Amino acid sequence: MNAQRLGLRALRQAAVKKPNALFFENLPRLALTTNAAALQTRSASTQKISENDAQSLLAAQRRQRPVSPHLTAYDYSQTWFGASIWTRITGQALSVSLYSFSLAYLVAPLTGWHIESATLASAAASLSPVLLTGFKTIVAWPFFFHFANGFRHLTWDLTYGFKKATIQQTSYVVLGASIIGTLGAVFLL
Amino acid sequence: MAALRSTSSRLLAAAASPRSTILPSVFVRSMASVGNATVEANPKSSTDSRMKSFQIYRWNPDTPSEKPRMQTYTLDLNKTGPMVLDALVRIKNELDPTLTFRRSCREGICGSCAMNINGTNTLACLCRIPTDTSAEMKIYPLPHTYVVKDLVPDLTHFYKQYKSIKPYLQRDTPAPDGKEYRQSKAERRRLDGLYECILCACCSTSCPSYWWNAEEYLGPAILLQSYRWLADSRDERKAERKAALDNSMSLYRCHTILNCTRTCPKGLNPGLAIAEIKKEMSF
Amino acid sequence: MASSLARPLLLRQTALAASTRRAATATFARQQLIRSTITKDTARVAAFHASSRRSLLPPGPQVIKGTVNDPAPIPETSPSHGSYHWTFERLIAAGIIPLTIAPFAGGSLNPGLDAILCSLLLVHSHLGFQSVIIDYIPNSRYPKSRKAAHWLLNAATALVGVGLYEFETNDVGLTEAVKRVWKAQA
Repeated sequence: MNAQRLGLRALRQAAVKKPNALFFENLPRLALTTNAAALQTRSASTQKISENDAQSLLAAQRRQRPVSPHLTAYDYSQTWFGASIWTRITGQALSVSLYSFSLAYLVAPLTGWHIESATLASAAASLSPVLLTGFKTIVAWPFFFHFANGFRHLTWDLTYGFKKATIQQTSYVVLGASIIGTLGAVFLL
Repeated sequence: MAALRSTSSRLLAAAASPRSTILPSVFVRSMASVGNATVEANPKSSTDSRMKSFQIYRWNPDTPSEKPRMQTYTLDLNKTGPMVLDALVRIKNELDPTLTFRRSCREGICGSCAMNINGTNTLACLCRIPTDTSAEMKIYPLPHTYVVKDLVPDLTHFYKQYKSIKPYLQRDTPAPDGKEYRQSKAERRRLDGLYECILCACCSTSCPSYWWNAEEYLGPAILLQSYRWLADSRDERKAERKAALDNSMSLYRCHTILNCTRTCPKGLNPGLAIAEIKKEMSF
Repeated sequence: MASSLARPLLLRQTALAASTRRAATATFARQQLIRSTITKDTARVAAFHASSRRSLLPPGPQVIKGTVNDPAPIPETSPSHGSYHWTFERLIAAGIIPLTIAPFAGGSLNPGLDAILCSLLLVHSHLGFQSVIIDYIPNSRYPKSRKAAHWLLNAATALVGVGLYEFETNDVGLTEAVKRVWKAQA
């Protein structure tokens, strides 16, 4: 196609003897001023085609099309590091923990596991302080982040806080609140 | 204008393209490149030029088995207009006539040149080229669309969805004075921020929800248009319009991600419009 | 409209055929030269992968149903999946807020409130999983997986409900349990 176009232009230049001829704009002018017969030499021709054939041609062409890049191309701060996806991730993580814990609790009598609160508390107590703090942080941050951004989402649902600047500010507020909440819960409670 | 330009100035303009140095006479096509008139035939030195690289997504439907690729073009910003569209037009004119993109009005009213520039969707004609020449610019077609060629996405389904919301005034009762449907100033004001939408699809294609569910989810642009008719005091089919949205897919795949509001090149707020619809339909 | 869309393709095909016929002309030599420079140029082109193989949720080849002028189909009206569902979701979420703040303020929850919190959390989680399923398992392409995922979720939620009931009745309750683990000292 590339070469074809260039070939077209080369032909036209040969015919017109005007090397700087514009590709599209000069066509009407050229047709007026130069020998029309010479200009009619075109390497491409058109062809009549029925409506159905045209549709099936187009459909075949559509099937070949690639999908443009999305997650790899879009602004990472909005897709990968946006508050929205992390609300979902943290929520899912918390829900999965809740589900797996209570499922485990349900089958515990059958499997002989001991996951009563007293056992869990003593197990936590036997962990090293560093490990316990790390564990608490891993649980607390998703909780506080999901909570804070969930609150933001509920205010959005009441149609407040939609200004662009407000969106930006509240996203920082949510992040800050989640970090403060996590630190408070881990070290003060 | 093109005839006035000397070969050397052309070489300068296309310094990054090895092709043009080999075959300069082939690449003489030129339209409105800014600053050509002031460019001297002999470039003083390369220190004056501000060369900026543009990485552009390429895919050719003639060779469909070839993977899409990124092609780098380098332009001197001193000889290029301030907007990304100027750069694209200049690349097409002077470096590579096969580069394909849509453009029409060059002033942000037609929505043709919507594309993903440096990560966010915007109109190329409204997006300034950052003057920082060390950073490469990345230009992709609108995200998660089927590519017709290079930067041209297929928006057929988008337009079909637009048609499905019946984007026109539906009314049975005639106007009381038999002439026009009157609105109060307050009623008219509700349409501000809605009627300005040019349907460039920047917001819809920035929405991850629309990426995954474009088939059934309408996406921010169409929902903003939908709200434009829901908010219109003259329209009398609000119940039907709402009923058409009242399912799990059309409207409620919106999770208030708000990429739409962040990206809108016209400064509109599709996120807010969707929230208004949801509120109207629930409480 | 449709024929004008199909035209470029035909044009290209016939043009390519024509170009091979004109092999002996000077134009051809010129084309060859250009071609070789272009292939040289591709060396500068970075490899770029946007194939559906690597992307999440591969969308499959583009298929447009109906002509360009047909509107996209409108799904059936179903408020229980639409507006009622949404409002219910928000009310549940809003209900969780005071019940999660209260233990921080009052130390713990009484068993009744704790049971309410547990059931709200269960429903909230269920709705969250549900929207993930709807978002990421498109019905149009994976109807069976979608159905299976929904039933799996329903079964899991029912079992979890039983498990939480057991925990609430036999143990100290969710907030108290979290508190105990949190305050655990070596």
